[in-house]
Amino acid sequence: MNAWYYGNLLTIQTTLTALLLALSIQIPMRMGVFAFTGVGAFGIAGYSTTILVADHGLGAIPAIIVSAIAAGLICLLWALLVYRLNGLYLAMSTFAFTLIVSVVAVNGGTVTGGPSGRYGVITPFGMGALVTISSIGLVVAALTERGRMGRRIDAVRDDPQLATSLGVSVRRYRLWGFAASGLFGGTAGAMQVLIRTTITPTDIGFHLIVLALTIVVIGGLGSWTGALLGAIVFTWLPQLLTSASEWRDLIYGGVILIAAVVAPGGVHGVVTGWLRGRQRRRRAASGAALPAKIEATEDLGEQMAQARQ
Amino acid sequence: MQNVIIALSLGSAYFLFAQGLSLTWATIDVLNFGHGAIFMFSVFSCSVLLGEVELPLVGLLLVAVAVGAALSLLAQLLVFGIIAARAKDRRSAELQVLIAGVGIGSILLAIAQKNAKGTAFGLSESSFETTTFEFFGATATNVTVIMIVTAIVLGLVVAWWLRRTRFGLALRAIGIDDEVASMMGADRSVLAAGAMAAAGALAGVAGVLFTLYATAIVPETGDVLLIKAFAVVILGGVGSTLGVAFGALALAAAEVVILTQTSGLWVDAISFGLIIAVLVLRPRGLFGKKEVQRA
Repeated sequence: MNAWYYGNLLTIQTTLTALLLALSIQIPMRMGVFAFTGVGAFGIAGYSTTILVADHGLGAIPAIIVSAIAAGLICLLWALLVYRLNGLYLAMSTFAFTLIVSVVAVNGGTVTGGPSGRYGVITPFGMGALVTISSIGLVVAALTERGRMGRRIDAVRDDPQLATSLGVSVRRYRLWGFAASGLFGGTAGAMQVLIRTTITPTDIGFHLIVLALTIVVIGGLGSWTGALLGAIVFTWLPQLLTSASEWRDLIYGGVILIAAVVAPGGVHGVVTGWLRGRQRRRRAASGAALPAKIEATEDLGEQMAQARQ
Repeated sequence: MQNVIIALSLGSAYFLFAQGLSLTWATIDVLNFGHGAIFMFSVFSCSVLLGEVELPLVGLLLVAVAVGAALSLLAQLLVFGIIAARAKDRRSAELQVLIAGVGIGSILLAIAQKNAKGTAFGLSESSFETTTFEFFGATATNVTVIMIVTAIVLGLVVAWWLRRTRFGLALRAIGIDDEVASMMGADRSVLAAGAMAAAGALAGVAGVLFTLYATAIVPETGDVLLIKAFAVVILGGVGSTLGVAFGALALAAAEVVILTQTSGLWVDAISFGLIIAVLVLRPRGLFGKKEVQRA
């Protein structure tokens, strides 16, 4: 166990940062906004952590907090700027936002280290802190899916007009979605730098957008379990595919394609769909003893769950 | 003068490429993220074929058009068409199409990267000879001339095709209202296949001409061009041929100015900055039509 743990330490760490990055894309998506700001925040916080730690001697945890909050604020400002855009136009503007971060990183001179990046971000940041912060992130994301908050978010996504008529401010929720995306993405970026001790502009470009999107799509768009599953599949699949490593990118592309066409709900959607189907069959087999009312509410819940995917 | 020629030829290449992207985006709601990879792959196929036989320019163009159209058509039939038929609403279809495009792009990219082994590939083995001549005190090549002429001719053809033929009319109708158009007898799947094939063919033409102009490309060139094409389409307005032409020239001119005035590292920032500036100030683009929002 111990040998396995140390042998796969880097993969475990990558899984955790990938999880937070995936959540940063998923949270605005759950509010009906397709935005890549989380990936830009990843880059912003990565560089700001580098600067704070390497140039100003700040500790690891304060650096993460400052960077993540700064990234969250920048994403919020960005959201205010582009809020009136819709759908794909909004997505494209955040896409451009993320790419501008990497262009600024290339042109930042000695502050960002230019095209070759920065290295030597050495802190005592360890596994304990990493696991704690990631767990907090996961729990926060999970909590937003429950109770009143969860239902309001679902309404903001599925029917903004209905949400408005019920007194839920769609604008406020979506802006918070952007801020949260910045916080999550920023935390992921800050921790990634502290683990790897280096950062380069190529770490935060187009490639990272594809990666984050892949994780969310493979796992499932609707729920934090989807992001978790996606992060695990995505970081551990390469380990299993080492024999086929030259075809890795091809397999990734194929997986994305299949997920987009056949299973838009991702692994999470397939599994919950299968469980629900089994439940229904079992209920049918045990006879129609259930009162009709429960049956009806179950159906409604099911429909809502399907709509969520 | 030299800079004007450079801007014109770059602009022509951007136009040919962006026109295909805009065509499918405006009509059948397919923003194809794999368009850059299709561009790259049609050049790649030509360069592989050149290892076997010698081809003239016309042959190269035909091969690239065939490969581009075939790939694009396959993407439509096997992926985008199925998504459009199965998706529950327009928004989730858009998202799935975007993601599937990323998937198509990474598959083609992976194949080319594996075979190109990290080196650039070009079309220098074709029987086409690049000649240089003087033009008002500046130097130009025959590639430049062919590129500019092709862009103008194809731009006019596409604009005419969309405006004056029944096929174009049906295609535009689909872009405005899917359901009503099909009630009027427009067959969505056939039209979508036609539009995608045309987009792929344009990517193929753009690929061969751009590669002859730039002498060689790497597998990742397609993705860089894709981002520039977004800037062009957004600047001009989705679905407007004139807008795309203007956007392509404006982007190329801005890039040439930056390249000649600064160290050049900021060039990529122009297209991203343009996307944002236009989206914020004029979300429908400079030549875009106002879309009617129905609740």
